[in-house]
Amino acid sequence: MKRRLIAAIGVAGMMVSVAACGTDSGDNGDSSAGGEKTLTVWVMDGSAPEAWIAEVNKEFEAKHEGVTVKVETQQWNGIQEKVTTALSEDTPPDVLELGNTQTAGYAVTGGLADLTADKDKLGYAGWNKGMLASAELDGKLFSAPWYAANRVVVYDKAAFKKAGVTPPKTREEWIDGLEKIKKSDPDVQPIYLPGQSWYVFAGFLWDEGGDLAVKDGDTWKGALATPEAVAAMNFYKELQSFSTAPQDKDEATPQQSTDIVPKGDVASWIGLGWEAGGAITAIEEAGGKADFGYFPIPGKTADTPGSVFFGGSNLAIAERSKNKDLATEWLALAAGKEHMAKYAEAVTGSLLPNNDSVQFKPEAGSFAEAMGLAAPVGKITPVTPGWVNVETAPNPIKDYMTKVLKGTDPMKAGEEADKVITERVNQE
Amino acid sequence: MTVDSQGAVDSASVDTPRGAASQTPPPASGPGEAVPPPRGRRRMPSGILPYLLIAPAVASMAVLLLYPLVKNLILSLQQLNRREMITRETVWIGVDNYTKLLSDPDFWNVVLRSLFFTAANVALIMGLGTLIGLLLNRLGKAMRLTLSLALMFAWAMPIVASVTIFRWLFDEQFGVVNWLMRTLGFAGYEQHNWFETGFSTLVIVTLLVVWGSVPFVALNMYAGLTTVGSELYEAAKMDGAGGWRTFWSVVFPNLKPFFLITTFLEIIWVFKAFAQVYAMNLGGPDRGSETLPVYAYIEGLGQQHYGLAAAISILTIVMLLAAMSFYFRLILKQEEEQ
Repeated sequence: MKRRLIAAIGVAGMMVSVAACGTDSGDNGDSSAGGEKTLTVWVMDGSAPEAWIAEVNKEFEAKHEGVTVKVETQQWNGIQEKVTTALSEDTPPDVLELGNTQTAGYAVTGGLADLTADKDKLGYAGWNKGMLASAELDGKLFSAPWYAANRVVVYDKAAFKKAGVTPPKTREEWIDGLEKIKKSDPDVQPIYLPGQSWYVFAGFLWDEGGDLAVKDGDTWKGALATPEAVAAMNFYKELQSFSTAPQDKDEATPQQSTDIVPKGDVASWIGLGWEAGGAITAIEEAGGKADFGYFPIPGKTADTPGSVFFGGSNLAIAERSKNKDLATEWLALAAGKEHMAKYAEAVTGSLLPNNDSVQFKPEAGSFAEAMGLAAPVGKITPVTPGWVNVETAPNPIKDYMTKVLKGTDPMKAGEEADKVITERVNQE
Repeated sequence: MTVDSQGAVDSASVDTPRGAASQTPPPASGPGEAVPPPRGRRRMPSGILPYLLIAPAVASMAVLLLYPLVKNLILSLQQLNRREMITRETVWIGVDNYTKLLSDPDFWNVVLRSLFFTAANVALIMGLGTLIGLLLNRLGKAMRLTLSLALMFAWAMPIVASVTIFRWLFDEQFGVVNWLMRTLGFAGYEQHNWFETGFSTLVIVTLLVVWGSVPFVALNMYAGLTTVGSELYEAAKMDGAGGWRTFWSVVFPNLKPFFLITTFLEIIWVFKAFAQVYAMNLGGPDRGSETLPVYAYIEGLGQQHYGLAAAISILTIVMLLAAMSFYFRLILKQEEEQ
């Protein structure tokens, strides 16, 4: 409320000053008098490099006289409640970033504008098909894909070298390597893997041919009480046994990149580009030097890397936006080919842009290179409006993982989790 | 509340000084409220002035308490999830939210857990608070000041800050408590998880709540003790009463109203404690440390079932009212006896 009040005062102030300018020069008063508008854009923390979005807005404001673009950065934590509330109001943000697993859940509520008619303007034809899946529902387009990213294994080159281990290609090599590291230095964690890193588990599950939930006629049901899930969870357990990380926490509590890795004695961990960046910064701030290498999560065979969750974001327009046309224009500009090329450059390839033809060529040995290798086997969570309910805390998949790691029979824990997943995934 | 406790104190103890609220000196013979006192009392202002004076209080109560309460009641009769919230549809479902809750074993688990949690906490708070209050009364000036200050600091600590500190104290990987246990030579605290189960989590929460709430009881207890006349202790001593006997025959009857009001206040506070329980482990593991307010929050804001959460909070209020009715009955009974 307060922020809106400040915004209102700010806008009012701007109007007054523009009006004052108008009377002085007496020139372009006509065009701006009726067109004084503010376009509000919500982006998530860490999504939009400042220089990049400033350039987009500058170009947009130059094209549309009298329009100011206001960018508000949101935190992932608790974002769903915030988005729900915002979409229910009369003055929602005009453009908002939504996680790709959440988009369908909001599309079905009618809170997002239908963009099907604007496909051409937005550059639909050039979009990456894998990323597009989460932006559409029942053949209608509700958002523009923005970026995607997936996790890779980040390793400390020194620790790997000391143990004589090279980046593995298969799961067996991976486990062998971790054994060697354990023997070479008992004080080092061969891999830091908390018990509730459920996106990593999802990858193992997809490797086995299973999924988190499957369609059963018209409804969905949880699929963790399956032999595939048992196999995936067994491998997760084997991997997790190399870590002293808590079994009832995810990678964000404590934040592995800034709270754990910089403390040292972690030979490898699984993370995203921004996490690797954060860890490097934290180590350097503490006066150390980070020397990280990166490899895709190994697969069951050497020819394909392990499946990974294709995390990412879409940009949508609120149905109740007062400036839908302007918002569409902004979206077309920001998510268009030209600016997405600059985007890929600004993030040095650590996030994949929505258009394959503008991919950034990553440096050899960089995070982006390893991520690119795994991108073809990227998958997303079931695309159904109810999926968003499954992910909300308390997440049944996380509880399932903790239970199995602590010794509960995987089938039994899977049945309990399936009950919750099935109940939630079928709610709209 | 203040008025009630005042009345209770008056009825039970002649030694307790009357509050500033009543200006009249205590009448010499029995309750003489009906007889107009000869002097000292001003004429009651008439007209609309009294109403004007009370209006701000009534208005703020209506806006801040009554309106949300009525709104909450209305919400509890609706299906209001994410979709209805955004589309602004109003879907009346009668008492479905209530029947769903009352037939849900999870709900009853949470209710039982809340009741045990409250009982354990209030018992510990009252017990420890009373002991420390008695101690304060015995201590010399310097030590009393030191202890009072320590109590005040614990009482003044913001809740979320103290929960954060407790979380780190008991952290599995970097916690001081695990380090302490290891240093003291106990085995098995290499990476002991203090939040392993819902029960163990609630034990830590209990530690925090008791630590945070004991100062209130202890300091009030001490304040109450200063009003017990020393001749009563002397008389008890003459009759050969020990410490235990003195407490039950002299201190407790004199301070009964204090115990009553403090216990009920603590029941209300602990039963509706939210920040301590939620911030400690988000109701986990596996929803095992959810008490009623946390359950309502997770169902409402986390799962975005706003109607169901409203029903949970209404049921919580009903339970608190049931508990409080005991208190009011006791008060009324005492008034009658008088």
